[in-house]
Amino acid sequence: MQSLTTPLLFIFALAVIGYFVAKSRALKVAGGDIRTLVSLPNQHALNTALATIIPPVAAVLLFALYGRLTDGGPNWFFTLVVIGLGVTGCALSLIGIKVESRARTYAERWILGLLIFASTIAIMTTVGIVFSMLFETFNFFGQYDWRDFFFSLSWSPNFRGNSDLGIIPLLWGTLYVSFIALVVAVPIGLFAAIYLSEYAGPRLRSVAKPAIEVLAGIPTIVYGLFALITVGPVLRDYFAEPMGFGQSASSVMTAGIVMGVMLIPFVSSLSDDIINAVPQAMRDGSLGLGATQSETIRQVVIPAALPGIVGAILLAASRAIGETMIVVLGAGAAARLSLNPFEAMTTVTVKIVSQLTGDTDFASPETLVAFALGLTLFVITLGLNVFALYIVRKYREQYE
Amino acid sequence: MEDMIHVDRAMSTNQDIKISAKGVQVYYADNHAIKDVDVEIDDKTVTAFIGPSGCGKSTFLRCLNRMNDTIDICRVEGDIRIDGEDIYDPKVDPVQLRAKVGMVFQKPNPFPKSIYDNVAYGPKIHGLARNKADLDEIVEKSLRKAALWNEAKDRLQAPGTGLSGGQQQRLCIARAIATAPEVLLMDEPCSALDPIATAQVEELIDELRQTFSVVIVTHSMQQAARVSQKTAFFHLGNLVEYDDTDKIFTNPHDPRTESYISGRIG
Repeated sequence: MQSLTTPLLFIFALAVIGYFVAKSRALKVAGGDIRTLVSLPNQHALNTALATIIPPVAAVLLFALYGRLTDGGPNWFFTLVVIGLGVTGCALSLIGIKVESRARTYAERWILGLLIFASTIAIMTTVGIVFSMLFETFNFFGQYDWRDFFFSLSWSPNFRGNSDLGIIPLLWGTLYVSFIALVVAVPIGLFAAIYLSEYAGPRLRSVAKPAIEVLAGIPTIVYGLFALITVGPVLRDYFAEPMGFGQSASSVMTAGIVMGVMLIPFVSSLSDDIINAVPQAMRDGSLGLGATQSETIRQVVIPAALPGIVGAILLAASRAIGETMIVVLGAGAAARLSLNPFEAMTTVTVKIVSQLTGDTDFASPETLVAFALGLTLFVITLGLNVFALYIVRKYREQYE
Repeated sequence: MEDMIHVDRAMSTNQDIKISAKGVQVYYADNHAIKDVDVEIDDKTVTAFIGPSGCGKSTFLRCLNRMNDTIDICRVEGDIRIDGEDIYDPKVDPVQLRAKVGMVFQKPNPFPKSIYDNVAYGPKIHGLARNKADLDEIVEKSLRKAALWNEAKDRLQAPGTGLSGGQQQRLCIARAIATAPEVLLMDEPCSALDPIATAQVEELIDELRQTFSVVIVTHSMQQAARVSQKTAFFHLGNLVEYDDTDKIFTNPHDPRTESYISGRIG
């Protein structure tokens, strides 16, 4: 990579110079009256700069994809190609500056290409992640029976071999913690959103909304500490022990409640925006018929905002399923299949971390199981998202 | 001059007075939107409010069912009585008032519900129907009255938002009359409609006069002339002239009314 720095810097400098040269050349071609130009000087300048930068950069990226940059770096020939592409692009577009040339169309095509490239990256990354997980998962299932993985009820990895690697206890922990988190976050978040958007005055709203959103800015590890030193002991001393549910400070309940608090802003902030987007005409229509404010909210505003609210809740659910830190510190690391919410349990994500940290070789099933876990989790959240889209679309059809 | 108008009206009508407003002032924050308006609206009559944009006619209309309460910065003073009862009395619940004084808005605003549920909304929240059959009957009657029954009877469960603009507005009218109001306020009900839908709604307004007192705000003077029996002309927050529609359009009292009607101001 080192050796490409200078040529690329040269290309960028060339692009900047090309920009200004193209601008003045376009003005000269126009003979002082830019109205005669089909494209404006700025458009010629933009076209030149883009034509100078994009081909060499694309060449470098393609080269990197081929993987040749990793072994040995590019040779002098490639460097020449990169510089040559830049100079050619610059020169061709400078020569092409004429009164009737349509630089705007070309510049727009370059930009369209950039936009397509950006969206492709987002999609290709997802595909890449899935494939990298798929390969490792295949390796894992080569060494471990998939029926045991999906249906075994126990999780006890043992690095000397003979491990039980059943996903069910972990999945149970994940779903249990997420369920409690949503039970906490959805009503509180939704009610807060309704209050903020329908009842609160503008001044209170301008203070309260950012204050709630601060919750979203707290790092999850800090929430984890809160679970560990405050919520966990309180739950144990005041609920679990007196009621005979156990003596564990780390429990599903602890992690679930703290995670629920973390999710409140996701639900409330999104729902608030969505409720606000319901046209005032809907409210007026309902109030004008003699409905009370609460009837209006329950029967008109919330149904109209429902697709968005469902989206917000499912987003929160995806966050809950993927959350790791709060679980490590709040719920513990022991895989257990139990209904008692005051017992320590653990989730899929926590186990992925613990299987991949420490001295591990990437050949044993105990390590590779992490990828199978990750892929399973990915499939679950993907399913959840598809389900969310389906719900949103279904209600859209009905309401718009 | 005001006195003369009163005398004129007293001679020209001997119907019951449904709404009587005296000395109404409306302020939006510091903006004095309605200045000292006195008006008496007859029962079973269509009364039109005309005037240039921003003259306060919609604002005044919204005072009559206290819809202005929903706007924080809005302040209403003066005395508005419906059937002799002060509607701004602290004892009056605006919710009950609005059940009695229905409203149709400028833009059709059907709820994101089925056609049936749109019409059944009011009767349901006010408990007007004892059972499903009752409710069905109210819905059918209201839709028939709003001249929408024939188009809607086979698709009652389809969303109200799927209707055309004119049908949506008639649905909103059906929704408003389903709660059996005594007064129906209409805020430019035809401004978003094409001429055919407008004609249908106007015909409907004329029929509604049998049962309700209708107050309609309109920008179209032809519409006011076609549908109303009484017309009030607002200008810059003042009620300039209020009289029989025929009189306003043929022989207006005030020079401002005359210039507006002949298209010189507005």
